[in-house]
Amino acid sequence: MKPSAGNRIVLRTLLQSGAFIFLAIAVGLLTNQLRPDKLSLVSDWSMQSQLAEESGLQDRGMLISMEEAREAFLSKKAFFLDARPKELYEAGHIKGAWNLPSEWADQFFDKVMTEIPMDAMVIAYCDGESCSLSKDLALYLFFRGYDNVRVLVNGWSRWLEAGLPVTKSTDVGAETGGRGENGERAKAE
Amino acid sequence: MGNVQKPSERRGRGKWISTGTPAFLARLILGAIFIYAAIDKIAHPQAFAEAVYKYQILPEFLINLTAIILPWLELCIALFLILGIWLPGAVFLSNFLLVCFFGALVFNMTRGMDIHCGCFSVSAGGSNHAPMAWYVTRDSLFLVPAFYLFYRIFGFSERHA
Repeated sequence: MKPSAGNRIVLRTLLQSGAFIFLAIAVGLLTNQLRPDKLSLVSDWSMQSQLAEESGLQDRGMLISMEEAREAFLSKKAFFLDARPKELYEAGHIKGAWNLPSEWADQFFDKVMTEIPMDAMVIAYCDGESCSLSKDLALYLFFRGYDNVRVLVNGWSRWLEAGLPVTKSTDVGAETGGRGENGERAKAE
Repeated sequence: MGNVQKPSERRGRGKWISTGTPAFLARLILGAIFIYAAIDKIAHPQAFAEAVYKYQILPEFLINLTAIILPWLELCIALFLILGIWLPGAVFLSNFLLVCFFGALVFNMTRGMDIHCGCFSVSAGGSNHAPMAWYVTRDSLFLVPAFYLFYRIFGFSERHA
């Protein structure tokens, strides 16, 4: 029995689609093998792995756990930097944190970092498990000489969940690169 | 126009090739979009892999494979669309991919995620890049030629089956 016209086009579409996919897999894998900047077929996309790869510090973790961050906050041992854009920072941030958006890090570096010693512990955070802003900021600071810079992954959400002190910026001093609140010290207090 | 067919040619293989200037233009536009999208991804696989990661939709083990294979699939589809060969497959896959991309964008927009940084955002405005709403609008425009070709290829054949 001959297939109907409808069945024929479905069959033809499936066969052609399969051929396209097969062709793309073959060419993609082959060209990837040949190129100097080839990707491994499967990578570790964890933030720790990305930081280790991009900083070149394979043996040192730049991540900080929530518990360590909480301790550093309560004992006032760390400076917190919010790597998100100004609007998000103003809507709410870790109490005492400074705003240094990773995209504007170069521009506002002097304004923010002059009061933070090079050997101080600096904790960068943003929001979201895959958020790259805190990683980008931490790497930028690391390469500017801040050896003790850490990343609190998904920091804002986790901080809220933990019920730790937060604040909003509705008054002066909340401009990009500025302090969280007027007169507030950069270091957690 | 090279792709215009006589009615008598709309039999067998010939009937799969869409006729008329609108379909030809739709194929060219869609093909150009896919070529433009594919070239940059092929040139910068690591950056594309990071972009896929920031969407936070695919499991980790599929991120690099997607970055390696998807741009070539887009390029294949584009070339076949422009040449007018294997159109049912090319049109079906182009629609499938565009709907997936559109769905991924809308999904991330509704959960407040900015795809530029993989971070949560309070608005669809994103950071200092083009707003998410712009990408959604742009991608919905891409669907117009794709849906038109889908209708021409599959709608036409059903009516004449």
